Parts: sequence; structure tokens; C-alpha cells
Amino acid sequence: MLSRRSLLAGAALLPAPALAQADQRPSITVAVQAISTSGTLEPMREQSNVGFRVMPSFAECLIEMDWTRTQRPRPGLATAWRRIDHRTVELTLREGVRFHDGSLMTAEDVAFSFSAARFGGTAADARGLFVGTAQQAASKVPPPEASAISRAAFPAFDRVEVVNAQTVRFHNREPDVTLEARLTRTSGCVFSRAGFEAAPSWLEWARAPVGSGPYRIARYRPNQDLVLEAHDQYWGGRPPLKSIRFIEVPDVAARVNALRAGDADFACDMPPDQIGEIERDPRLAVQGGRINNIRLTIFDKHHPVLANPLVRRAMTHAIDRQAIVDALWAGRTAVPKGLQHEFYGEMFQADWAAPRFDLAEARRLLREAGYKGEAVPYQLLNNYYTNQTPGAQVLVEGWRAAGLNVQIEMKENWGQILGRFPGRGICDNSNTAGFGDPVSSMSVYGPGGQTWESGQWENEDAKAALATLATSVDHATRRAAFRRMLEICERDDPAYTVLHQNATFTALRKGLPWRASQSFAMDFSHRNWGAQSGVR
Amino acid sequence: MLRFLTLRLVRAVLTIALVVTFAFVVLRLSGDPALLIMSVDAPPEAVAAFRKAWGLDEPLWQQYLSYFGAIASGDLGRSMRDGRDAIVLVGERIPATLALTVPALLIKLGLGIPAGVYAALHRNSWADRLVMFLAVAGFTVPSFVLGLLLVLVFAVQLGWLPSGGQDSWRHAVLPVITMGVGGAAVLARFTRSAMLEVLGQSYIRTASAKGVPWAQVVRGHALPNAAIPTVTIIGFMVGSLIAGAVVVESVFSWPGVGRLLVVAVANRDLAVVQCILLLVAATMVTANLVVDLLYGALDPRLRRGGSR
Repeated sequence: MLSRRSLLAGAALLPAPALAQADQRPSITVAVQAISTSGTLEPMREQSNVGFRVMPSFAECLIEMDWTRTQRPRPGLATAWRRIDHRTVELTLREGVRFHDGSLMTAEDVAFSFSAARFGGTAADARGLFVGTAQQAASKVPPPEASAISRAAFPAFDRVEVVNAQTVRFHNREPDVTLEARLTRTSGCVFSRAGFEAAPSWLEWARAPVGSGPYRIARYRPNQDLVLEAHDQYWGGRPPLKSIRFIEVPDVAARVNALRAGDADFACDMPPDQIGEIERDPRLAVQGGRINNIRLTIFDKHHPVLANPLVRRAMTHAIDRQAIVDALWAGRTAVPKGLQHEFYGEMFQADWAAPRFDLAEARRLLREAGYKGEAVPYQLLNNYYTNQTPGAQVLVEGWRAAGLNVQIEMKENWGQILGRFPGRGICDNSNTAGFGDPVSSMSVYGPGGQTWESGQWENEDAKAALATLATSVDHATRRAAFRRMLEICERDDPAYTVLHQNATFTALRKGLPWRASQSFAMDFSHRNWGAQSGVR
Repeated sequence: MLRFLTLRLVRAVLTIALVVTFAFVVLRLSGDPALLIMSVDAPPEAVAAFRKAWGLDEPLWQQYLSYFGAIASGDLGRSMRDGRDAIVLVGERIPATLALTVPALLIKLGLGIPAGVYAALHRNSWADRLVMFLAVAGFTVPSFVLGLLLVLVFAVQLGWLPSGGQDSWRHAVLPVITMGVGGAAVLARFTRSAMLEVLGQSYIRTASAKGVPWAQVVRGHALPNAAIPTVTIIGFMVGSLIAGAVVVESVFSWPGVGRLLVVAVANRDLAVVQCILLLVAATMVTANLVVDLLYGALDPRLRRGGSR
């Protein structure tokens, strides 16, 4: 009879090629602009679009969002959920879920994932300007920004109650009909408590959080690469890929070259003007399109000229949005119906629209406002967003045609845009809907949101409407509140104006059985890699 | 000698203090690290918490004093983005950068000096013109253009070498050539000019007139005297070993100090930028000191306290 030891000894004697043949799954390399902006992979710290791209491969939520097909929630680590009351949701946990450290997921892990240990408690008084302190580096206490992120993600979260081994209850302090939707965000991912406890420090944990996704983190080197390996004990079955390597290649030309040279199988964040050139190569294809993000222009209503809402309204009518979509995006995106997405379901306001392009109306509004040609500054970053600078030139020409004197001021970073300084006028922004409810996008325009915090725009009516939207449990009331938010923010007292839906494009080797999602997330699970996935 | 060294040391400390102040003023006044590191998509509350945790909400003068005080006490600080000590972060990247810059320096020396000497000794010949044509082409083509061209030819078209990354020695070939070619071109130009100037001197004519074999004249009189300006250029090249590959590392996705510097500047990660600048300043100052000492070895008049 063969013992385990003799089997292992025998395996050690096998020639290397024989061992290699044991796993025939392909390994892929994905060239990305950046893997993470914070240098960590912990969702409580990493909040960027680029981080969202890699997270679904190693971390999972109780309720997942199907960004690739339905744009609807689907069971994740919870197989079912039901409302106990307007403040409480009960979830039934999936059985047999194993974390990457081999431990079985329990209700205690869920409770841990939403506890102070991970969310952070009160902001630690860890002030130490540029000064290295060994205690901080080795601490298991999350940095203060992690607790701020958790508060923003779950503003009225109270606690997780462990009902039994397979059941947990989420308790909110306030009524919230979006609690299930909020759980689909990366902030709602579940991690191994044992994994956290085994990590020597919070930083080391944040570099390699132990989740339950189809791939485990094998190596992460900030600014270099992230290697994920198949988690063969994954509850959804053996992952289709042996390993995935994300490599940071900041330059677009270098990413395309890596793809053409065969050094990468995917190259992310392709600008639209590169797509034709890439598609001319018979070995390559481009996938992607519209995502859950909308490009906007933001107004500072405290600028002397923009203080008059009629001027802002005039600006919203002097933008040829379709021309931007056609000329700069080759028609590969669309003008949205205001700041909303169809995956908002019954909250979607189908009869709402972006302001029509109407120069006569813009001129009429400017006359009514008594505008005399005063300069309006436009603080602009150089292509932080795809096509940002050429898009700005289209905007300025449209405004000029309406009689507006808008002056572009090039800036280097966001601090120079959002800081409080005299002469702040117009700037660009984008808005991501993290889950299928208008609260996800509209909360920016309420207290605590970016426009309020940076002092660009406030409106008491909007504050009231947002409060209703966030806490009411009556569908009709919420729908009316959302409508009111759109009216205030886009027409009565414009905080922003939508430009176009954002889009992201991925170049890849032709024939790879993978499909791009309608978000920044890349899905390499069995659900999206294989013959059944097709190619969009 | 002691006075010379003390003076140099004082100047070096002053240079480093100026570099540190300059880095602080430029980086701190031109961007908010909290917004850059947390990303514009992060909740404002999180950005504010980050700002508070790192003391970025304190008056600027107070931040400067803390910053300078920490450096003066030998603490180069922690990376706001990475959380680890800046010196550890930079130290991890130095071997990768040296893996490019040292071989590139050898190419510069091995190609540039012989080519310059040969061109000078065969002035106005076809060989001289060819060397100068290649040298002008070499230093006028920006390194990012040359790098992308090499990738297109050797990685994309021929498939002989990888287009980027740092997985094996093969990944270093194209970036080393990219850096080496430009530097060799500069060195060839300088060496040729220096040699031509020396070859026109009266002592060269005298030595030849006395019947000294030409090879000996070149080895014994021309080369040592032409070495002084060339050593100055080599000093600069040695001084830039640490951070001289910023562009090339970006083009080839090579994870060295140069890429770290780009990311740190973009994020206003002060501790890391300051650490790299200090290292660069220290390397430059040391290289200049060595060059000054070499002048003395090459030119006996300097050893005796005379002036050049």
C-alpha cells in the first residue's frame, strides 16, 4: 500500500515536464496602466477604477453584481437574502466556500469583514508627518482613511448579527432600501478572519488579503506586477486559468507593443483612436464599450459669473454631445439620459434627457442673465480621462459659438483643480454608479459629497431630496426624490452637466474566450472564460 | 587636502539642504498628496482622514519644519502611498536600476572613448565622418524614440527580445542598448574634441619632432591630457547611475528607481521623492569629488596647488 510520504517522494522524482503536464490550463498576462493607486489590494483602502479591475478575481461579496451580462445582482457568497424590516437584511451563506488559506468561510468571517478590525474604528491619532515609526508600520489597525471609506460605503451601518453558522443579519441604523445593492460593492467583500490575524501587519494584509475568489494572490509588487494563481478549491469549480499576471505598463504605445510582441495577451485602456490600428492586425481584437461611469463637467457656483444659474444653463445647451461621441469616440459610446443608468431598474427615469444642443436657447439664456463676455476659467487636466483635452476643445468652441468667453487653464493634478482658490470655475469629472440605485451616483451632490466638500456647489433642496432618496422606503417617494435631484442638479441650479457615457476598451489576442464587462472589472472566472462566453 | 575636503563636504551638505527644500516647496505647493494618493474617486471623508493622518492639514511652515527636522535626525520618512520606510522602498529598486545603468555605462565607455579617439586620430577621413554622423544621430534621437524603435524592430517584428519587463537578462538588452547608445555618442563627441585640442598642442609637435614613436606620443602625452574633460563627462554619467534611467525605465516598464521617482512625483509622495533626490545628490557630489581627485592624478600641476 502506498503511503502519503512515498507518494510525495515519488512525485518529487518525476521529471519536471511530467509535473508541468499535470496542469494544462493556460496562463495569461494582462498589461494595465496601473494595478492599484494606493499600493494595496484591500478594498477598504483601494478605491480606484484600476483597483476595481483586479479585485473580482480574488475577492467576493455576499451579493455579486453581474457586470458582464445582466447588470443585475446575483447570489455570491450568500445564496439567498430576505428583508426582516426596513433596517435589516438576513442572508443565507453559501456552504463549502473555502478561502485561499484553506479555511472554510463561516458567519464569523462575515462578521469580521464588517467589524472595526477591518473597517477601522475611530480615526487613530497617528500623526507623524513623513516620520517613519516602526509601531505604525507593524500595526494591525487600519489607517484612518479605511474607516472613512467604510462610513461612506455603509453610512448607516450598525452591525452584523451572527444568527447561526449559515445565517447573518445586517442591521442598519436608518431605513435603507439599498442595503442589498451596497453589499455588491467591493467594500462589501468578505475576507478570512484567520488570514487577517495571521498577517504580521495591516500593510502586509492589505497587500495580499485572503479572499475566496477564483484566484489567490501569489505575488504583488506595487508598480510592477500582480500574480494570481488558480484557487482550485473555489466553490464555483476549478478556475479556467492556471495563473493571471497583471503587469504595469503605463505607456499606451508600450502596452500595444507588449501585445503585438506576444509579451501580453491583453492590453487595457486603449484610447478610441488606437482601435482601428489594432484591429488591422489580424491576430488582435478589441473589446469593450460603455461602462457604469459618466463623464461630466462640474460648475463652481461660487465663481462670480457662474453664480447665475442662467449662465450655467446656457453652457449646458451649448454642448454638442453627439459630436463628441461621434468624432472622438467613433460612435462607440452614447449620450446618457442625464446622470443615471438603465440598470437602476424601476428608478430609471426614461423620459429624462441631457440638455439638448441649442445655441439659440443658450444665447437667449445668456441675454437673460445679463452676461457681458466676462471670462470663465476652465481648469483642465491633460487627458486624465480618455479624450479629455480634445473634448474640452469641443466644449470651448461650442461655448464660444454661444457667446461665452471660456478660458482653458491647464493643470497638472487634482489638487490644483479641487483646491479652494480664487478663479476656480469649470472642471471635468466622472461619476461611477457603484450599484444599481441612484443613491450611488447622486450622493456626490449632497453633504459629504465631493462638490460640497470642495465648496463647488451646495443646494439645500438637493440635500433634502437626497435625504429622502437615501432613507425613504416608499418607491414612489424615492422615484420623485430622484427626479427632483435631476431637476435641481441638471436644470434649476446646475451642479454639473453630463457629456457622455464613459467607455473602456481592451485589446486582446483574437480567439481568447473572454468577454469584456460593462464596468472596469475584468472577469476571468469560469462564468466568463470558455466557449460559452462568446465574444462581443 | 583636509581644507579641500572640508570645503567640498560643506558645499555638499549645502547642496543637499537646497535640494531637500526645493523638493518640498515644488512638490507641496503644486499638488495635494492626499487627493493624488487616495484618488479622486475616494470619498472626501477618506481624503480628509488621510490628510489628517499625515499632517497635511497643518500649516505649511510647520510641515516644512517637521520634514526638515526628520531628515536632519536621519529619518527619511515613510512613503505615504506604500506605508513603508522610503529608504527601504528606494533600496529595493536600486539593484534593478544598476542592472541597466552599469552595463550601459560600460557600453558608453567601451564604444564612446575608442570611437572618439579613433575619429580624432583620423580627422576628416571617412571613418571620422561616419563616427561623427553616428554620434550626432545617437545623441539627437531622444531615448524614448530610440527605445520604441528598438522594441518595434527587435520585439514586435523580429520577436527576438521581450518588449518590456524585468523577468530575465534578455529583458535588459534593449533598455541597456537604448541608454548605452546615447551616452556613447556624447562621449565620442567629447573625446574627439578633447583629443583634437591636445593633438594641436606644441608639446605633441615637440615630442613627434624628437622622434618619439606616434603611438607613444598618443599614449603618453595625448590621451592623459585629453582625459581631463572626458573624465568630467564620465563623472556626470557615474553620478546619474541611480536616477539616470527615468525615461528608459518608463518605456520598458523596468521597475527601477526611475519609475519609482515618476510614480512618487505624480503622487507627491514626498518621503520617497526626497529619498531619491538625496541619493542622487549624494551620488553626484561623490562623483564630482572623485573627479576632482582624479584631476589631481591626471594633472600634476593641480596636485601642486596650481590652477588649470
